[in-house]
Amino acid sequence: MLAEVRFEGVHKIFGAETAVEDLNLFVEAGEFMVLVGPSGCGKTTTLRMLAGLERPSYGRILIGDKLVNNVPPRFRDVAMVFQSYALYPHMNVYDNLAFGMRAHGAASALVDQRVKETADVLGLGSLLKRRPSELSGGQRQRVALGRALIRQPQVFLMDEPLSNLDAGLRVQMRAELSRLHERFRVTTMYVTHDQVEAMTMGDRIAVMNSGRLQQVDVPETLYDNPVNLFVAGFIGSPRMNFIKGVMTTSGGKPAVRFMGATVPLSTSSKLIGDTADGDVTVGVRPEDIMWRKAAGPDSSLTFSAEVDVVEPMGHEAYVTALCAGETVTSRFPPRSGVRTRERVDLALNPARLHLFDARTGESILQRPVAGSAEALKSAREAWIEESSAGRDLRPPAPVVPTKSEEI
Amino acid sequence: MSAVQARRIKADPSLIVVPYRRVSVAALATNVVLVLLGCFFVLPMLWMIFASLDSNPDWAIKLPSLTLANFTDVIGTAGALSSFRSSLILAGATTVVTTVLAVLAAYPLSRMHIPFKRGFMLGILFASGLPVSMLVVPVYQLYVYLGWLDSLYTTALFLAASSLPFAIWLMKNFIDAVPAELEHAAAIDGASTFRILRQVVLPLTIPGIAVTAIYTFINAWGAFIIPFVLNSNPDDQPGPVEIYNFMGSHGLFKFGDLAVFSLLFSLPVIVLYLFMSRYFSGAFSFSGAVRG
Repeated sequence: MLAEVRFEGVHKIFGAETAVEDLNLFVEAGEFMVLVGPSGCGKTTTLRMLAGLERPSYGRILIGDKLVNNVPPRFRDVAMVFQSYALYPHMNVYDNLAFGMRAHGAASALVDQRVKETADVLGLGSLLKRRPSELSGGQRQRVALGRALIRQPQVFLMDEPLSNLDAGLRVQMRAELSRLHERFRVTTMYVTHDQVEAMTMGDRIAVMNSGRLQQVDVPETLYDNPVNLFVAGFIGSPRMNFIKGVMTTSGGKPAVRFMGATVPLSTSSKLIGDTADGDVTVGVRPEDIMWRKAAGPDSSLTFSAEVDVVEPMGHEAYVTALCAGETVTSRFPPRSGVRTRERVDLALNPARLHLFDARTGESILQRPVAGSAEALKSAREAWIEESSAGRDLRPPAPVVPTKSEEI
Repeated sequence: MSAVQARRIKADPSLIVVPYRRVSVAALATNVVLVLLGCFFVLPMLWMIFASLDSNPDWAIKLPSLTLANFTDVIGTAGALSSFRSSLILAGATTVVTTVLAVLAAYPLSRMHIPFKRGFMLGILFASGLPVSMLVVPVYQLYVYLGWLDSLYTTALFLAASSLPFAIWLMKNFIDAVPAELEHAAAIDGASTFRILRQVVLPLTIPGIAVTAIYTFINAWGAFIIPFVLNSNPDDQPGPVEIYNFMGSHGLFKFGDLAVFSLLFSLPVIVLYLFMSRYFSGAFSFSGAVRG
């Protein structure tokens, strides 16, 4: 039943525009793969190619071990949840759910049984006689989900299914989708532009930009070891700070000079690529450049900065400050009392720097992996079980910094 | 009493706004023109109603000396009934042919990528604006050649052909309004093209089909020149031709019968218009299908 999905050298060209370029992606059977990227990055086109709504210009797409390039949508055994839900407005919920099975010629007794089961799973039991126009946004979303679930397909495709819901409902449905995936373990390809959805739901995340796949990995690795400036800037909120720097040596060891300081690289990190004395972009996550007073002993570097903007978020505050000619954003504790124009000391943990080639934007520093990916994955699964109330929390992994919250 | 005391407000006469209207020349002129135009439509109808009830009608609009004799006169004659039957056959056949073809033509025009589609659609729009009477002579020649003259059904065929351009244009707009995502969803759900058309597209375009059908029917119901030229069989003349006959070939003008016939003949049109306006007023919509 479970099928893996494979994109091999897939291109999609619309006229003069290349929407997807040389995509190579393998989705394991039963995996929840999130495709994330800004608008127009080719993620929806990729999904539509898998659904059969678009044909790839070059390359091969396989579901299981079957080449599906020329297979029309109805023979692909995939189910899709659309951003707009695309419910049939002239049919009631029951008929909407039953449509797919009837199209496949299922016996009406079986259809009836499965509609009831699906409605129960999604809490739609009392709404079966209603038309889509008589449902709330969240209910419509469930019907759209049910229409996909009932088919028991090989692959689920979801095209920004939560983006039309309001913030509270979105968080709730996010948890529910994760729970459904835990339960049915159907191979899922989920498209979103929301990095919070990507981080919280994906077994793995594929980041796309301008039609090109940038990086595919588990959320934690994506966060800790982004391969280039784009991924580093896209994943994480507030955004990673990018600061101009120069590679140098200090006492015979590689070091980087930025914001007036020379910082030797941590011995556990590994430099990759040609890095001799070149210009680099230093990446610092907002949680790695902290208020001196709140920083731990690892944050051995201190910078003096002038506060520009304070954004209280309740459980923390984002402070944007001017520091040696650079603007940096850092996470402060909630009631620091820091005001605009005030001078503060910021402390930086040199072990948590990211380094990128200033010219190509590629990462040149391989940081140590924070715990094994397997351990993190099981922590995530445990977390999904717990968060049935729909809370938006991250698994309490020891080395991984606190992830961004819903904005 | 609350801490905030309600203050008494004295009525200030200078603050009372008196609504006033100023009659502008433009507004006056517009209204006069509209009233005149209205008269052109209302006066003949008024004559029709009055004359149909008058025992001694003539050209003038006058209060009738009431009688129902004209009605019994018209309904009693076989000619009136047969012309109703002829009109029904002619307009019905035209409507069926036009609507079926318009749906089948409009669906691919709406959904598929077709070379020169824009040019084709503009051509259709242009064709729908051409006066059909222009074509009457060559079409007559053609019908003579084919031996198609004097039949209501072959006449309906040409009426259908001439109403098709506008019907396709109308139908395409209605199909355009059905979100393509519904079809994509149905395709992924496993439905064949025929099932998608039958269970998703057609049910959602019923208002459009109804409007197209009614519009075609009304036009064919009132068509005069085409049936007049192509069908000279005196036994199955449709209504408009029959009205013409009232005025000319019977020699004497029977104003009362003419008025009654015209009145009865326009009733189906009025009913259908009322019916059509229901669809246009949005009694049916796509709400709940997609959000956006």
